[in-house]
Amino acid sequence: MKKYILLTAAAGCLISLSACRGKTSQVTAPDGTLDKCTLRFSWWGGDDRHQATLEAVELWNLQHPDITVVPEYGGWDGWTEKVTAQLSGGTEADIMQINYDWLISFSQDGKGFYDLSLLEERIDLSQFDSEILQFGKVNGILNGITVSVSGRGLFYNADTYKEIGAEYPETWTELLELGEKFSKKGKYPLDLDVQSGGTAWYLAVVYVQQQTGRQFITLDGELGFTEADIKAALDFYKSLEDNHIIRTVNTRTDEDGTAALYQSPEFISGRIGGVLEWGSSVGKYEISLTDGVLESGPMLSDDSGNNSGWMIKPSLLYTISANTKYPDEAAEFMNFMLNDGEAAKLLGTTRGIPASSAAQKSLEENGLLTGLAQENDTLLETLDTVTISPYMELAQMKEYYNSAIEMISYNTVTTEDAAREMYGSIKDYLERIRK
Amino acid sequence: MKKKYRNPIGVKKYTGLLLIMPFLAGFLLFTVYPFVSSFILGMTDYNGIGNPRITGADNYIYMLTDSGFLKAAGVTLKYTAVLVPLKLIFSLMTALVLNMQIRGMGVYRTIFFIPSILGSNLAVVIMWQFLFTSDGLANQLLEAIGLSPVSWYGDTAAAMGIIILLRLWEFGSTMIIFLNALRDIPKEYYEAAKVDGCGQIMGFFSITLPLLKNVIFLNLVLQVIAAMQEFSAPYMVTGGGPLKSTYTLGMLIYDEMFSYHNMGYANALSWVMFVLIALVVGVMMKLTGRWREDV
Repeated sequence: MKKYILLTAAAGCLISLSACRGKTSQVTAPDGTLDKCTLRFSWWGGDDRHQATLEAVELWNLQHPDITVVPEYGGWDGWTEKVTAQLSGGTEADIMQINYDWLISFSQDGKGFYDLSLLEERIDLSQFDSEILQFGKVNGILNGITVSVSGRGLFYNADTYKEIGAEYPETWTELLELGEKFSKKGKYPLDLDVQSGGTAWYLAVVYVQQQTGRQFITLDGELGFTEADIKAALDFYKSLEDNHIIRTVNTRTDEDGTAALYQSPEFISGRIGGVLEWGSSVGKYEISLTDGVLESGPMLSDDSGNNSGWMIKPSLLYTISANTKYPDEAAEFMNFMLNDGEAAKLLGTTRGIPASSAAQKSLEENGLLTGLAQENDTLLETLDTVTISPYMELAQMKEYYNSAIEMISYNTVTTEDAAREMYGSIKDYLERIRK
Repeated sequence: MKKKYRNPIGVKKYTGLLLIMPFLAGFLLFTVYPFVSSFILGMTDYNGIGNPRITGADNYIYMLTDSGFLKAAGVTLKYTAVLVPLKLIFSLMTALVLNMQIRGMGVYRTIFFIPSILGSNLAVVIMWQFLFTSDGLANQLLEAIGLSPVSWYGDTAAAMGIIILLRLWEFGSTMIIFLNALRDIPKEYYEAAKVDGCGQIMGFFSITLPLLKNVIFLNLVLQVIAAMQEFSAPYMVTGGGPLKSTYTLGMLIYDEMFSYHNMGYANALSWVMFVLIALVVGVMMKLTGRWREDV
């Protein structure tokens, strides 16, 4: 019996050790033909994006009866975790919508996703600026194609502001002055979250970047802020709470539980007068606001009119799985989603203003380059923006920001102590992952 | 002379092994393999993609200074220490009531078991979330009886309370085990005790409890194991907040694995959780050993 137990244990160890060698699967090279197959396409988003994308997929399936695309979609919360599990097990979709920071999380050497330069015959890369294509390169390898470049902007509930009799703020000072008016009516001019979106820290970073001219984290992952800068950002956040501009973390969790801001009854009812959101994702706020109209507001500046420090990034990228058995077919579908005029009409601006000039042209010709995403894009074009470092968006980094903000919101630490801890944690973490 | 038995139906040496092969295959694939893999991965630096790098005991050494781990372990132990006794007492009390000879008892038993069937699925979690928001039913009830509302999600102790209440609400399976054990106690014991002048309370402590001690221990072990692995309730109801006051070891393992891509560290954490549970159960067995044997 003992012998059998030992044999079983030894077999288990051997199998496990072999599993720990990591992936050794061969990448399927393009063969230049389009075969009959079924492809999986995955994305996250709000209902507006889901609806538009499903229509585009349907159009593809009608036009290409031999290459069936099966959609896989859901909300943002939990999506990264789902895709992480799929990528670890090699069961990810053939074509994926990915976030900017996933390039460094999942493809540090550029081999985590398919090398799209091998599929140039299928994907019309001439529709993209070389600068925009650069966003999708890791270690010199083209892993993703930017769908749109977007930045976070301020969007306000016009009805709420009208009821209060307030104008949309143009400067930080004007924003801080709004609290008094809104508090009399039990409302808030803005709200930020400390969940996966992490908009609270984002706005604080913009404020300090505008003041100092320093970038929070550089594109290659160096911490640009000093400890004093981090303290200034946390102080600014605290002043938003103290001046009744946003809800405290305690109030927000009490009122909304763990619901996202766009699903919050407080936002839907108009008690929250404004949000900070990506131009490419603001649609989900727009459709959940049944009473009231969402309008794009000015990008805040200091009192001297300096409006720098606002950030942009490739809001989303499309990539192809390194494990796909159908690279040609997947590339053909990706090209359809990026550059096809009819698909662009269906997709509209649900992923922001398309980076592809062909898609942009189609929207323009059909009068579809309108709406909040377009307004936000136009506003950002007039500013001296900063490109966000992908390192800034890593989940572990967001955990550092959100922890610090939660602690100062609950007054369990001073902003000085929180800044010291955050500075140390971020510095150590960035050094560790850039090794 | 020792008689040699011939196998009448031709069963050979390895037939038994062959018959248990389906189980053995499943056991090897779904228990032994993940178990051993997890231990090996716990000694690596691995992000889930690419190749793991062997780092020996580094993950375990780092854990000793990881404030996130220490806090999550503390939260888990605190949660277990509060939930398990409450659940056992509540389940036992309910089982005692449901063991009474009342008309329609079958219906009551079914009703009390419904929450356990529902579990903490999404619909229940959403209901729970709305019950405890600032203007939810819980606060409305408190205000109706003249008490001030509670900041359920905002207060660290209250947030833990929500999770404990959710799990307490699912007391059905523990209660059923108690109920079955209670029904096995012969009525004659109580009748004889009654003749000797023993009241109901004394009967409970002198007859019921001693005869239930092995079942109490069984429930205790099952509940401790479940509580120490807690993940879904805090993940869905409070998100681990506020200030990580409901952030359990299970949530930490999940985040390290899927959010931060520290799969080596997440596996090391899983092993520490396993050892921690084994230790707690071992200590309980040791402490209650004599009591359980002494019938």
